[in-house]
Amino acid sequence: MVTVNGIGWINKAEYGCILRNIRIAYDDKSRLKKEIFTSSYKNFGRIDNASRITCYAAALALKDAGIEYSQNRKQDIGVIGTNSRGSLETDINYFMDYIDSNRTSSRGNLFIYTLPTSPLGEAAIRFGLQGPLLYIAASDNSLLPVIETAAEMILLDESTVMLAGMSREEEAVYFVLKKDSGSGQDVLCNVETAMSILRGSRALDEMLKEFSVLGKGENQ
Amino acid sequence: MRAVVVSCNMVTPYGLGADACWDGIMSGQTAISRLGRFNTNAFHADCAATVDNLEYLRKESLVMQMLRSLFDSVPVPIPRDARLMMATIKGEIDLLEKSLLQGTGDASSCNLGHLLKKVADITGVEDRGIIVSAACASSTAAVARAAAMIREEHCDCALVVACDSVTEFLFSGFSALMALDKSGARPFDKNRNGLTIGEAAAFALVMSEERAKQEKREIVGRITGWGLSDDAYHMTRPSSDSAGRVLAIKKALKNAGIDQNSIGLISAHGTGTVYNDAMEIKAFDAIFNNKPPVYSIKGAIGHTMGAAGLVEMIIALRGLKEETVPPTVNLKDCEEDAQAWVSSGSRSVDKEKMALITSAGFGGINAALICHK
Repeated sequence: MVTVNGIGWINKAEYGCILRNIRIAYDDKSRLKKEIFTSSYKNFGRIDNASRITCYAAALALKDAGIEYSQNRKQDIGVIGTNSRGSLETDINYFMDYIDSNRTSSRGNLFIYTLPTSPLGEAAIRFGLQGPLLYIAASDNSLLPVIETAAEMILLDESTVMLAGMSREEEAVYFVLKKDSGSGQDVLCNVETAMSILRGSRALDEMLKEFSVLGKGENQ
Repeated sequence: MRAVVVSCNMVTPYGLGADACWDGIMSGQTAISRLGRFNTNAFHADCAATVDNLEYLRKESLVMQMLRSLFDSVPVPIPRDARLMMATIKGEIDLLEKSLLQGTGDASSCNLGHLLKKVADITGVEDRGIIVSAACASSTAAVARAAAMIREEHCDCALVVACDSVTEFLFSGFSALMALDKSGARPFDKNRNGLTIGEAAAFALVMSEERAKQEKREIVGRITGWGLSDDAYHMTRPSSDSAGRVLAIKKALKNAGIDQNSIGLISAHGTGTVYNDAMEIKAFDAIFNNKPPVYSIKGAIGHTMGAAGLVEMIIALRGLKEETVPPTVNLKDCEEDAQAWVSSGSRSVDKEKMALITSAGFGGINAALICHK
């Protein structure tokens, strides 16, 4: 059985962890890096917005699941994600910048963020995640195929732990999925329960409320 | 359930059909040529591998033109109940170029979701499908997911479609990263100096072996194992210790339930960049004692990005069928470390052996597939 062992999330006003029942409001984005990451993040200011928000949510999910991470200590943890618009904003930024140069020069540091996998790649590098890395998108922007694929990868021993989630504009949510070891580890719910919640809720807030109820139930 | 390939085909710079691509590679003549699609004066190279007779920045995107010609020629209808997986890195990015350069159309029409719907329409499948993107390992990862869904009995038929095209967007980006070889890609050559981008569209219809037998389908090949990993090192450079690539290959061998001695040929990612090819040989060296023959087709058709893994799997299956390891086109003076592995000529392969296909992409992504006849 595959279980959900942590959920981290962020929106434009708050961030939190579901299992640990953490919900923190913020009004200064520049403080997030220090508040969320457990070690320094070199060059964080240079990465694009989609990568930043993905890294925040991924770090919060790992924290919620009690998984320590380090750029220098690689772990067989995979990351799979989706978003609502692929890399459209960075695509436009990159190509407009190139047009503005009269099509004579382009910038590699913009180009590398024009792949939908770039935010996931940033998270993998930052947190030392050496498992499978994939971007999946369904026509309805659903998180369901992402969670299904992550669970399938765990069942087939393609990875021991998967981070799976989504970002859209100024919000992101990531789940930590593991194979149930029966060792009494903190578990929020099994993956089937998570998928039934995802089938019923569209907005991030609505989804988080339902998972929070589960988290409080486990903690009581 | 075991996953088998029952139908596949491709459009590549050699033309329409897997036969055209196989014959082109076996001829040793590269399909890389001077690029006339847009002005390349500002870039570090002026060559690419393109498909003839495509219209650029006109009514329909380049990938849709390739996909239409591909699916117009499918001999057997695609089952309507097939699950659809679309692999690409930039899909219809030329629609965004057209919008921003000509002020016509909507830039957001390059959204991959729109492409997915078009592909569902032209293939006739009922499934709304998913996009699978893993940078230049996209179609390798998509084939792996299709095989995984069949093994887990989530479905018994999946259609993997892959495509990417040579556009000013991508060409300028790779040029900015100093990744293009002025002379055309020369995988594993001492003088290699980068990759050449190419374009292609391909599909593979993957079924459970049981369904394939029930429907009396010809089995083109079997997908027996796969492994995905990440270097967790750098966005564009492969890790110098090859650990991520080794991990992907080891996972694939374990997933297939075989050891290294079962591999008879290796279709390498082999882009022609200094780092990729060196790290790849280092990874093979760490795993294979018996040094199975290695080749790359990227000196022949360029790096077809999201389509590369699927095109390379189809060619590897053809190699197993013909009991022939294709030549590494454009290889003149082999890198010393690669000499025991790579050849500019074709070689034979034991008919009982399997093929390993490796892919990699930005973000440190690695993917490996194991197939056999």
